[in-house]
Amino acid sequence: MKKWSLLVSIIVTICLVTACSSNGGNTNTPAASPANNNTATNSGDNSSDTPEEIELRIMWWGDQERADKTNQVIELFEAKYPHIDVVGEFAPSSGYFDKLNTQLASGTAPDIFFLGGNVIDYALKEVLLPLDGYVGNALDLSDMDAAMIQYGTVNGQLLHISAGANARGIVINKTMFEKAGMPVPQDGWSWDDYAAIATEISEKLGDGVFGSYDFTYDGLDIYFKQHGQQLYNMDEQKVGFDEAMALQWFSYWADLAAKGGVVTPELAVSNPNEDIAKNLMVTSQVAMTLLPSNQLTSLQSLTTDELTMVQLPRGPKGTGVVFESSQGLSGYAKTEHPEEVAQFISFFINDSEAASILGNNRGVPVTAANRDVLQAQASDVEKIIYDYTSRVSEATKTEPFNISYNLPGNAEFEKMTKTAIQEIGFGRKSVEEAVASFYKDAQEIIANNVTQ
Amino acid sequence: MKIKSARNSLASDHNRTAYLFLTPWLIGFFCLTLGPMMASLYFSLTKYNLLNSPSWIGLGNYVKILSDDETFRNSLFLTFKYVLFSVPLKLIFALIVAMILNKGLRGLGIYRTVYYLPSLLGGSIAIAIVWRQIFAGDGVVNDFLGWFGIKGPSWISHPDYVIYTIIMLTIWQFGSAMVIFLAGLKQVPTELYEASSIDGAGKGRQFFNITLPLLTPVIFFNLVMGIINSFQAFTPAFVIGDGRGGPLDATMFYTLYLYLKGFSFFDMGYASALAWIMLLIIGFLTAIVFTTQKYWVFYSDDQGGK
Repeated sequence: MKKWSLLVSIIVTICLVTACSSNGGNTNTPAASPANNNTATNSGDNSSDTPEEIELRIMWWGDQERADKTNQVIELFEAKYPHIDVVGEFAPSSGYFDKLNTQLASGTAPDIFFLGGNVIDYALKEVLLPLDGYVGNALDLSDMDAAMIQYGTVNGQLLHISAGANARGIVINKTMFEKAGMPVPQDGWSWDDYAAIATEISEKLGDGVFGSYDFTYDGLDIYFKQHGQQLYNMDEQKVGFDEAMALQWFSYWADLAAKGGVVTPELAVSNPNEDIAKNLMVTSQVAMTLLPSNQLTSLQSLTTDELTMVQLPRGPKGTGVVFESSQGLSGYAKTEHPEEVAQFISFFINDSEAASILGNNRGVPVTAANRDVLQAQASDVEKIIYDYTSRVSEATKTEPFNISYNLPGNAEFEKMTKTAIQEIGFGRKSVEEAVASFYKDAQEIIANNVTQ
Repeated sequence: MKIKSARNSLASDHNRTAYLFLTPWLIGFFCLTLGPMMASLYFSLTKYNLLNSPSWIGLGNYVKILSDDETFRNSLFLTFKYVLFSVPLKLIFALIVAMILNKGLRGLGIYRTVYYLPSLLGGSIAIAIVWRQIFAGDGVVNDFLGWFGIKGPSWISHPDYVIYTIIMLTIWQFGSAMVIFLAGLKQVPTELYEASSIDGAGKGRQFFNITLPLLTPVIFFNLVMGIINSFQAFTPAFVIGDGRGGPLDATMFYTLYLYLKGFSFFDMGYASALAWIMLLIIGFLTAIVFTTQKYWVFYSDDQGGK
C-alpha cells in the first residue's frame, strides 16, 4: 500500500512537471497576449477601413525627463493612429540591457526597443526585425542622412534606425580656465598640448582639482582612427588595431596621471565621467573631459560654470571624430505587428512635433527637416552644440572617417577594458602587462561572440 | 493482500494525507526548482548565448572555468574572504547582543524588534544605497573621522576597502541569528548557573562551560544558514559596487560574476556551469560542517540522564 501511494504521488507530480514544462515551451512564442485579447473583442467586422486595435510595447533607457518626453511623443502617435495603443516602459541605463536580454531570452521582449553602440551584438544574434520591406511606405527614410541608414544596415539588412546623432568632443569648463588665468583651448590642438594644459591647470587650481578625466575607454576608438586604425574590423571579424597602438594610448594616460593632470582612479569610481549628475565638472573639479555633444545640455543645466565644446586633439589623420548614432530604435524579430513597428519608428524620426518635444535628448535629429525645426528654437547651450557639430561636419569633408561599430560582446569588452585601466590606475599592473592582457582578452571576446 | 492489519492501512492513510499536504511544496519543487535545475545542468554543457539555441560542447565550460579564468579565481577568493569574515563576526555579534538582552531588561520585546529590523531591511536595495552614502568619500563616516583630524578614503570606491563595507552591512543584519540565540539562551536551565556559582565559578567560567556548550546546537544551525546565505550574497555587492564588479573586481562576488556572464555578457552556458560549481562548493562545505558536528555540537538529550 505504501509503495502504491508513493507511485501515485510520483505520477501526479510527473504530470504536473510536464504540464509546467509545456507551459514553459509556450512562452517561447511571442507573448503578445494583451494584443490577442484586443483582437478578440474588437474584430467585429474585419474590413480594411476599420483597422483592428493592436498594442505595441516599447522600451527605452534613461531618466524621468527622457521618459516624460518619450511618453508625450507616444501620446501624439496614439492620437494620430487611434487604433494603436502604445505601452512604454523604461529602465535606468545600468539595468536596461540585462532586462532586455532576459525578455529576449524568454520571448517576451517589447515590439520596439532602443539600442546603443551594442546594436551589432543583437544584429548578430538575429533578434532584430529586418525593416527593408517597409522603407518607402510605412517607414519613410527619404530625409534621413545616408550615413545613418548605412549605420543601421548590418550584413545587408536594415535592422536599426538611429534616433539621434551626436559627435564626441572635449567639453571645456571656461570658468575654470578664467580662474586659472589660462586661455581656453581651441580646435586644432595636439595631444601634447592637451597633456600640458591638463597638468598646468591642475597645478594652478590646487588640491582636488584636475585637468581632465581619464577617457582611455571613451576615446579608444577615436584615437585608433586618428592613427589609421580602428577598434573592430567588421569584415574580417577581428580587432582592427595592433597592440603597440593600444600601448601608446594607455601609456599616454598613465603618464598624464603620474603628472597629476587626471582625476584619481578612486574619484573616477565614485564620480564617473558618464554619470552626468555626479560628473566632477559640475562641481568645478575637472576642467576638460570627453563627452557626446548631446550631453552638454544636461551637464550645463547642473552648473553655473560656463561650458563649451572644442574638437579633440589631432592625431596624424585628423580628429577622428564623425557624426555617429547615439542610439536608435529596433523592432523585435518576433513582433506580431511589424508594419506598425515601422510606422512608429517612422513617426518618431520624422514628425516635426515629436522632434520639438524630444529636442536633443537623444542627440541631434537624424532628418534634415527636424534639424531645422530645432535649430530655429535653439537655446544658448544648444547653439554651442550646433556650432560644434557643424565644425565636425566641416572637418569630415576634408578628413573623412568611416562610421565604426563597437565590437561584438560590447558589455564584456567595456567591463574588461575598464578593469585594465583601473589595474594601471591603482598600481596593480604595469601598463605593459595590463595592455598585453587587454589585447588578448579583446580578441577572445570577439571570437566568443561572433560564432553562434 | 486481504490480511492487511488495521495498523498498516492506518499508516498508509496517514501517508496519503501527508503527501496531500506536501503537494504544494512538491509542485513548487518540481516545477520551480527541479525543472530549472535540470535545464541549467544541460545549459552548462552547451555554448548558449541566451538568444539563440544552445549547442553542445560537453565539459568545455567547466574546463575553461577551472583552467583559464582569472575572474573565476578572484571571485571565488573574494567570496571565501567574505564568508570567512562575515559569518563568524555576525554570529559573535548576535550572541553578544542576545546575552545582553537576556539579562531580563524591561521592554525586551521592543529591543528585540529594534535589533531584528536590520535583518528585514538589510538585504534590500534601499539599505545598500544608504550604505553607499554613509561610506562615500563625503559620507557620514568620513565626516565623523574628520572630527579627529583623520581624512578617510572613499570606502566604497577603493578596491582595498569596499569589501569591508559590504561585510559590515552583513554583520549589521545579525537580527535573525540573535533571535534564535535568545531563544536558545532562554532554554539554558537556571539551576546550572546557581549550582556552578555555589561551586565558585565566575561569569567567564559559566559562559564557557555552561552557556556555550548548551548553545552549540543553535550555533550549528546559525553557522550552516550563515554559510549558505553568505555564499549567495548578491544585492550588497551589486548595489554598493558599480553593478559590474568594480572597482577592480573588488565587488565581483561569485553570484555577481555568474549574473554578469549570463545576463550581460551573453554566456548563459558558462554561467550555468558556474552555478553548478557553486552548488558543489556549498554542498561540500555544508557536508564538512555536518561531519564535524559530532565533535563540538552538544545535544542535551545525549546525556541520557532522566
